[in-house]
Amino acid sequence: MTIMRHLEGGQSCPQPPFRRLFLALALILPALYAQQPAADPDALLQHAIALHQAGDLDGAIRAYREYLAAQPDSVQARSNLGAALARAGRYEEAIAEYDRALSKSPENPALLLNLGLAYYKTGRPAEAATRFERAASLAPQFKGQVTLLLASCDNSLGKYKQAVALLAPLENEKSADQAFNYIYGTALIGDGQSASGAAVIDRILSAGDSAEALLLRGTLKLRAHDHDGALADLEKAIALNGRLPGAHARLGELLLAMREKDGARTAFGQELALDPDEFVSNLNMGVLAKQDQEYAAARRYFECALKARPNDPGVRYQMAILDLATGNPDQARKALEALIGESPDFAEAHATLATVYYRLDRSADGDRERAIAQKLMDQRDAADTGVRAR
Amino acid sequence: MRRWLMFGGWWLVFSGWWLVFSGEEPEPRRPHFTDIASKSNFAYRTDNNFTGRKYFPQTMCGGVAAFDFDNDGRMDLFFTNGAKLPELEKTDPRFYNCLLRNRGDGTFEDVTARAGLLGKDLGFSFGVAAGDYDNDGFEDLFVCNAGPNVLYHNNGDGTFTDVTARSGITKPKDVLSVAAAWFDYDNDGKLDLIVSNYTVWTPRTDKICAANGVEYYCHPKVYSPVAHRLYHNLGNGRFEDVTEASGFGKELGKGMGIAIADFNGDGYMDVFVANDTMRNFLFINQKNGTFKESAFEWGVAYDESGNAGSSMGADAKDYDNDGWPDLFYNNLKGEIWGLYHNLGGKSMSYVSGISRVSRLSARSSGWSNGFVDYNNDGWKDLYSSNGDIDNMGDISRQRDTMFENVDGKEFRDVSGLLGADFNHAGFQRGSAFVDLNNDGFEDLVVTSLDEKPRILLNSADNGNHWLLVNTIGRRSNRDGVGVALKLTTASGRTLYNHVTTSDGFMSSSDKRVHFGLGPEKAIASLEIRWPSGIVQTLKKLRADQILTVTEPAR
Repeated sequence: MTIMRHLEGGQSCPQPPFRRLFLALALILPALYAQQPAADPDALLQHAIALHQAGDLDGAIRAYREYLAAQPDSVQARSNLGAALARAGRYEEAIAEYDRALSKSPENPALLLNLGLAYYKTGRPAEAATRFERAASLAPQFKGQVTLLLASCDNSLGKYKQAVALLAPLENEKSADQAFNYIYGTALIGDGQSASGAAVIDRILSAGDSAEALLLRGTLKLRAHDHDGALADLEKAIALNGRLPGAHARLGELLLAMREKDGARTAFGQELALDPDEFVSNLNMGVLAKQDQEYAAARRYFECALKARPNDPGVRYQMAILDLATGNPDQARKALEALIGESPDFAEAHATLATVYYRLDRSADGDRERAIAQKLMDQRDAADTGVRAR
Repeated sequence: MRRWLMFGGWWLVFSGWWLVFSGEEPEPRRPHFTDIASKSNFAYRTDNNFTGRKYFPQTMCGGVAAFDFDNDGRMDLFFTNGAKLPELEKTDPRFYNCLLRNRGDGTFEDVTARAGLLGKDLGFSFGVAAGDYDNDGFEDLFVCNAGPNVLYHNNGDGTFTDVTARSGITKPKDVLSVAAAWFDYDNDGKLDLIVSNYTVWTPRTDKICAANGVEYYCHPKVYSPVAHRLYHNLGNGRFEDVTEASGFGKELGKGMGIAIADFNGDGYMDVFVANDTMRNFLFINQKNGTFKESAFEWGVAYDESGNAGSSMGADAKDYDNDGWPDLFYNNLKGEIWGLYHNLGGKSMSYVSGISRVSRLSARSSGWSNGFVDYNNDGWKDLYSSNGDIDNMGDISRQRDTMFENVDGKEFRDVSGLLGADFNHAGFQRGSAFVDLNNDGFEDLVVTSLDEKPRILLNSADNGNHWLLVNTIGRRSNRDGVGVALKLTTASGRTLYNHVTTSDGFMSSSDKRVHFGLGPEKAIASLEIRWPSGIVQTLKKLRADQILTVTEPAR
């Protein structure tokens, strides 16, 4: 419950740790950047770079800032400062420096790539993705690196179909790359392509037991309502790698499906201890807090979830319910109307909007929304075979 | 010796600190429950005929009715039972329904055969509703079945007659009826009948669901919803199916528990039906023979997130004594049990979270339920009979729960303090609240799959006072179903309740209205609003009595 206390005490999501996939890139890119020939042979800048390369990040940051005080327009020095800050885990400061550098050199693909990475590491895949796309369009040589990053962003944003479209053409070429397989497998399973996802899992497992593959297989089994099988895989994945991103969150989802709320809370809390911005855990912790009518805590979780997936309709729906529950039906109405405008088949949103309209004495609108909700739910029920345990 | 005294001294010091820092009130004395079923000789066990093959109805077996069939002033018990499957027949005495006559000495006599209530010709029985539909002063029974439902007329001589055929109560072929409730929806002085139906089902159409070679009970999604049915009492033992004309037929559901109350205070009874994995229904009486399904307007169609839960049992009573009936339905494990606070007769507010019900209930799969003031402190508590749908794991057997009402604001789980018999682990299903020994404390009768029912006697030993009110209507229906009562104690505390036998799931409770009075021994006034519109006020009543009130001429 550490994360619960944090959220109750603070107003924002804390910085996430590095993600394994990007650790290597994060280390390589600043070094590559530092190896580029300096435009200004100034001794101070050389000293800063030397410190940076030697791993004295505090010294390098001080030296870059000293140089920039005299040469504020130096794009290279500011970019290097951003890289040093990012390497020191000071991502927000790094983002500010990259932005200032980009204001002088808006078409610099390396800067855009680094800025994208900084955004990614702060759990803002949407912002990251736009920078990655721009970098790749300016520098085709970055495309290889960027494709995987973009697909990973798409997975984080729940845009699995887009991720599949990006990665499918590379499958033959990259099938031996386990990072590729993991991201591609995640995308396929997220997109509902269970058979293809299973094939990718088999490919990973053929190289030996892997936490990543077990996480994917557990996800597949969860989707197929094989709760016991999913539990075995997810527990094994966590035993192999307790810091595997998303594993605790998936376990939390499984435990919710198994109606074990307390266990689910613990699992989501463990995920958030590893990555406070993780979407699934924030969303579900918010829902659990909302059920207990701990509305302020719920809102903070939802805000964190929105940080990971801006404009996510599910989170916005939950926040509209909070508005209704906390006596702001008009605010709920506006949010729900906007949501339905974008997602007209969102049955629950229609149902809640019906109740909101009735509360606002707009019976005709309530009747209309109720009829839409019922129709959508009937259609969904008709498509659901229900062949599963309850 | 010295060391012992030192220890004692330290203990006292710490004890004192605890009291100072915790600031807690001493725990109140609570009654507990003792199962007295074993004192009686009866064969009934709740038998769902589970033999390995999992048929849909097997999860729902063991309805209970508490009613005084012989008018001796002591509440008797009726239990429904399953049937042989796939034959769907009560081929063996072990499937017979059961009527137990209360001897008044803590034992019960099985009089089923003599009363004509074995139900040999019935299919799989579910819910039961007791009510005097013909106003002859004897309580009748309606039993819901997979197969034809049945209306039993109480002949007044200890026997019952199946009058279904001449009553006109029919239903579409193969509709599976789960629960029923008697109420007078048009205030014409005759009890009408609402039946919650689940689906169309026969053993031949039963679905098989399995994974990895293990069969489990199918998710309700595999079964189609049907209309609940409303029958208008025409008098002379005849009923008219007004399902379509009343508006009930417009809504298709998977009906479970039914709660009857006048939610908007207009003098006409409304109907809440809990639907399994579908939105719930709240039929608001339009006072012209029709109902408007208004669960969306009232905010009780779905849970707060717009999701449909399992919605099992249901009850409507006023838990915070503000004069408006509130709503409680339970759910399966991991879902949120719904406690809704009535906002002045216009809508309901979800209060499961702030009342702590959401947290307290998370691990229980509830079936029958209800508001009951088990400790006579004047606050209605929340009871639920619990047990998993299926026997799939170590925690499938569950204990019942009692969430004690703390000043009408929140609830705490006191189940563990109510005795070993209350905490029996099983697959509990039906339940009824009833004062079996007329001591003013509510007893509990609970069925459990493949077991004898528990007859849980309340120890009634916390010193709190009470009043039981037995209403007899004249212009209103004779049972007084729908009568609204407002009790004001000598100190000015006001308590509210109404007459209904319908609560929980598949069950029918003591029709007498129960009030716990806490430490108060005197009642300043009792206001009685009859369905006929007549308002009667009784003043200066003593506590601790069973008060029979007959409706005045006007």
